[in-house]
Amino acid sequence: MERQFNAEIESLKLGEGEMFHGEGILAVTKALLQSGVSYVGGYQGAPVSHLLDVMVQARDYMDELGVHVEACTNEASAAAMLGASINYPARGAVTWKSIVGTNVASDALTHVASAGVLGGALIVVGEDYGEGASVAQERTHAIALKSSMWMLDPRPNLATIARLVQHAFELSEASNTPVFMDLRIRACHVHGSFVAGANRAPALSTRKLQAEAATFDYEHIPHPPATYRQEKLKMNVRMPAARKYIREHGLNELFAGSETSVGIICQGGLYNNLLRALQLIGLADDFGVSRIPILALNVVYPLVPEEISAFCSDKTAVLVVEEGQPEFIEQDIATLLRRADIQTRLHGKDVLIMAGEYTAEVIVHGLMGFFGAHAAHLDISAGTRWHETADAARAREAELLGAPLPPRPPNFCVGCPERPVFAAIKLVERDIGKRHISADIGCHSFATFAPFSLGNSILGYGMSLASSAGVAPMLAGRSMAIMGDGGFWHNGFLSGVASNQLNGGDKVLLIMKNGFTSATGTQELVSSPQDESAELAQDKSSVRSDRTIENTLRGAGVKWLRNVYTYRVADMSKTLREAFTTEEPGLKVIIAEGECQLERQRRIRPVLARLLGSGARVLRTRFGVDDETCSGDHSCIRLSGCPSLTLKASADTLKVDPVAHVNHSCVGCGLCGEVAHAAILCPSFYRAEVVQNPSAWDRLLARVRTTVIGWLQPA
Amino acid sequence: MAATSRPITILIAALGGEGGGVLADWIIAAATAEGYPVQSTSIPGVAQRTGATTYYIELYPARATELHGRRPVMTLAPAPADIDVMLASELLEAGRALQNGYVTPDRTTLIASTHRIYTVEEKIALGDGRFDGERILAAARALARRAILVDFHRLAANTGAMINASLFGALAGSGTLPLPRAACEQAIRSAGKGAEASLRGFALGYAAAEGKAPAPAGASVSPSDVTPAHAHTLMQRVRATFPAEVHETIERGLTRLSDFQDEDYAALYLDRLEPIARLEREHGAAAKHELTGETARFLALWMSYEDVIRVADLKSRRSRFERVRAEVQAKPGEPVHIIEYLKPGVEEAAALLPPGLSRRLVSWAQKRGLMHKLNVGLHLNSSSVTGFLTLRLLAWLRPLRRRSARYAEEQALIERWLCAIAAAPDAGLALEIALCGRLIKGYGDTNRRAKANFLRIFDTLVEGGAVGDAGARAQAIRAARAGALADPEGRGLEATLAAQGVAPLPPQAKIIQFMRRPAAAPKTA
Repeated sequence: MERQFNAEIESLKLGEGEMFHGEGILAVTKALLQSGVSYVGGYQGAPVSHLLDVMVQARDYMDELGVHVEACTNEASAAAMLGASINYPARGAVTWKSIVGTNVASDALTHVASAGVLGGALIVVGEDYGEGASVAQERTHAIALKSSMWMLDPRPNLATIARLVQHAFELSEASNTPVFMDLRIRACHVHGSFVAGANRAPALSTRKLQAEAATFDYEHIPHPPATYRQEKLKMNVRMPAARKYIREHGLNELFAGSETSVGIICQGGLYNNLLRALQLIGLADDFGVSRIPILALNVVYPLVPEEISAFCSDKTAVLVVEEGQPEFIEQDIATLLRRADIQTRLHGKDVLIMAGEYTAEVIVHGLMGFFGAHAAHLDISAGTRWHETADAARAREAELLGAPLPPRPPNFCVGCPERPVFAAIKLVERDIGKRHISADIGCHSFATFAPFSLGNSILGYGMSLASSAGVAPMLAGRSMAIMGDGGFWHNGFLSGVASNQLNGGDKVLLIMKNGFTSATGTQELVSSPQDESAELAQDKSSVRSDRTIENTLRGAGVKWLRNVYTYRVADMSKTLREAFTTEEPGLKVIIAEGECQLERQRRIRPVLARLLGSGARVLRTRFGVDDETCSGDHSCIRLSGCPSLTLKASADTLKVDPVAHVNHSCVGCGLCGEVAHAAILCPSFYRAEVVQNPSAWDRLLARVRTTVIGWLQPA
Repeated sequence: MAATSRPITILIAALGGEGGGVLADWIIAAATAEGYPVQSTSIPGVAQRTGATTYYIELYPARATELHGRRPVMTLAPAPADIDVMLASELLEAGRALQNGYVTPDRTTLIASTHRIYTVEEKIALGDGRFDGERILAAARALARRAILVDFHRLAANTGAMINASLFGALAGSGTLPLPRAACEQAIRSAGKGAEASLRGFALGYAAAEGKAPAPAGASVSPSDVTPAHAHTLMQRVRATFPAEVHETIERGLTRLSDFQDEDYAALYLDRLEPIARLEREHGAAAKHELTGETARFLALWMSYEDVIRVADLKSRRSRFERVRAEVQAKPGEPVHIIEYLKPGVEEAAALLPPGLSRRLVSWAQKRGLMHKLNVGLHLNSSSVTGFLTLRLLAWLRPLRRRSARYAEEQALIERWLCAIAAAPDAGLALEIALCGRLIKGYGDTNRRAKANFLRIFDTLVEGGAVGDAGARAQAIRAARAGALADPEGRGLEATLAAQGVAPLPPQAKIIQFMRRPAAAPKTA
């Protein structure tokens, strides 16, 4: 795993009254333990990875508490874990990145929501929306609505988040319904503090076993005819129970203000941004005291009609601040007001933007429009001045820069084993022309950026092969799907390989076998290298030894299967060419082997340090470019894109174009040289091997060589 | 309701893997230890994989104990024109912060490292795609309330620390936060790992913010700055015949060419340049003598084209061995093996042979489709005696170069280029033709593509009659040159030529492979 959480594990053990300092998502983790959670599962992905990662690393402590932790292979298997809460009074929590993870989990969620739960069931989703998000933009809110699951959107401070985690379980139990907790990216990563409580031993746990399985009750099975009753229960029993709990426990927060004619209803998660917007306009102070009354909805579904009516009825106009589209909450409120015949004017997406993140700047815009129309007596000149300052700075800057700045999307790391595969694909395409490439989720999706710009579509995690099923039969040239080993186990084997085998598809599948789910923080897979093989591999790639993927494919009837070490660009090109052109029918699978460089570096750094310290001979490899022979065309960079292969001004002032240059971050993976060879690029690359702790023989050899060469060498 | 004080807002722009998160943690730790309410957020995600990312911190400048139980509400996202301290770990990222309005004259202290880490988009350009850093510096100075612009990367590297340490030092030294130096240093110490190096980096950053930055190291002297004595007479000729503005360029050219071949070859360089200089005088030279200067530049580079002899010579010199040792940071006493990646083939061999033989070899190879198939991938250890001798033997072929096919080919094309410059009706057009010399570079495929682009421009715009008027022709050539440097597939060039009414080249033939339809019928359930 990419990160070690030793300090964080200690903070999970804090007792009553002690101060917890840390990230929002770890506050959730701590609050789960304070709520007496019995089991936790999930699938990693920013911004919620840390919840699961820290629990996996805290295995010993979890055992002590009796909490079962499972790192699931996908969100569907995580969601299905909630099945434990249907029949047993066990509290459970699962987590993943949303919207994508929620989509994968939906089948299980529908069924657990229909059956209803006995023990509290909480789903912590990282809402990947707006700046920093890495997936398609959609609202998880829609899933909560269609499955009648409740959704919390807490104010983004640790105390509120932790308090609501505990309420979420009670709400879930009071209404027999699973509950979502929706946390935005920044809320997951917000660093703050709260007063911790003691961890509670779960009612049912790996240490407190229930002697017998639950008695049979058909009402818990989401099968007809029980489903007809369950559908009515959701609206007639569970929702009223939820509303009662929300109202009685004050989950939503009313912040009074001196203005009486206007008010704002916001999602709890947007409260801090709203406050900053009001500060910028001059209508709030630093401590949350606002002139405008605010109703912060920590529970965004279901709404409590009495709360909404009470807030709106004495005001002439109310603004709903709700991020994302469509405007579910605003529509809900509009219906409530109309039914209660309350004539308060309702605004929301008419003055605020319909789609996109609600930053303070966006909210200021909306507020100014709203106040302009309904509260002309308010002095909002500070907001105007602030806008003018920001616009003036941006305009002046655009003028001074003269051109837009080049973007800097994420890319493959230095020495990444996946980069050489795309270099090989580029080389093969020069000969046989463009092929349809179905890309996938994972680090390899960075190949859709320059310098590779490869991939025609992305349809979800592990879906690449499945997504070529329709297009491949219509193309003259054989098409290719690329997926990682993470994607293979997440979904790719079943949706892609099994389906292809059933239908006799003739395609190429390239699997990046780097040993880990690297994009999410190098979590382990069923096919990750075992500790012993990693030990044996020393500084070589350690993924060779595990054969789980190969055996699975052979078991599914794949005949044409090749393993290629990714850094051998020429071999990879040859194998790709063969896969694209062979007469052999069926699926052609290329397994591109090369250990994740992040993991490899983490693994070998201590090994090398130990060897160096003990005086053992260690060879350090680095690549370089002779700037005298580099002509500054940068073909090598267009085939590599390695961060360590960069530019510098030529030492020769006659040359106007910068030359290629390998900087000190080079890990000596060898791709530069391989590409120079495979593409017959240029003779400027060299590999330098520095002999550290040289032996007597090394020293003698070096002396002889230096002497002989010295006789003939020009300056 | 004017606020009595407001949170100090700090935005950090960094690249994944630079320790931006650790920097945020240090600030949090120091502020917490001093009793100030503080909050940070970030959006790391996949940006951890070398992409641009930001960390945002708010620090309330009154101790929690002085607030009588009130807690400030701090926000999670930066707003434009609302940033007190903007830290950028790289110059382009500072530019991005400026672009987003995070640096405003009323309040922002900008602390930015002036070094560049080029984006892929900048690196893959066929020529020079680097964004002009001077523009960012100018904008930074114009828009920040105070700008601390220092190469923090170098400061840190000198101490073995990461850039986050020197940036933290500068933040502490800038006096923008109510955090004493000792508290900041304690935060580093408490974080443990690598604390000593980080503290050294911190100290340099702190001094830099106080304006006590160490003077930048002087530019190193490259070998071509040293004039060999034998070229002395030629240097005198340069001073006698050429305007002073271009002396330096021509002298560099001379040095390069006598190094490449011999003094006669260097003299040929001057013979070729003299008519151009004369022409420029007749056209009424501009103050900078650009035509002569740029022709001199590209003529020197072209005449010293890289063939096997040249590459072998450059790779086996003592200065090069020393440069590699320095480049890979080898310690004294550590032997360094240098392994070259060479892949010579028919083309390289044919280039060395006399024209007649060369033609026969090439036509033999082409007939059999072997032109690019006989390349031998060599891993030559030039630090071994045999590897070194192989390179020296090739370098010693230098006297034979004048009889080689490649020599004849290059000289013919050079003459064609020079004639076109000389024949241009005005100085503007002549300069545009001269600048086409920039297109000629690279090896193998790259060189072939470069020459094809060069010839395409020559055939259509320079010598062909696609555009009549000299001014319009100069414009068209400039556009075509930019087009040729836009992409390696030649799309940009053809697009600019099409704008001048030139019919596009037919697309290159690609081998089509016909494949059997898979016979296997789908299984039925």
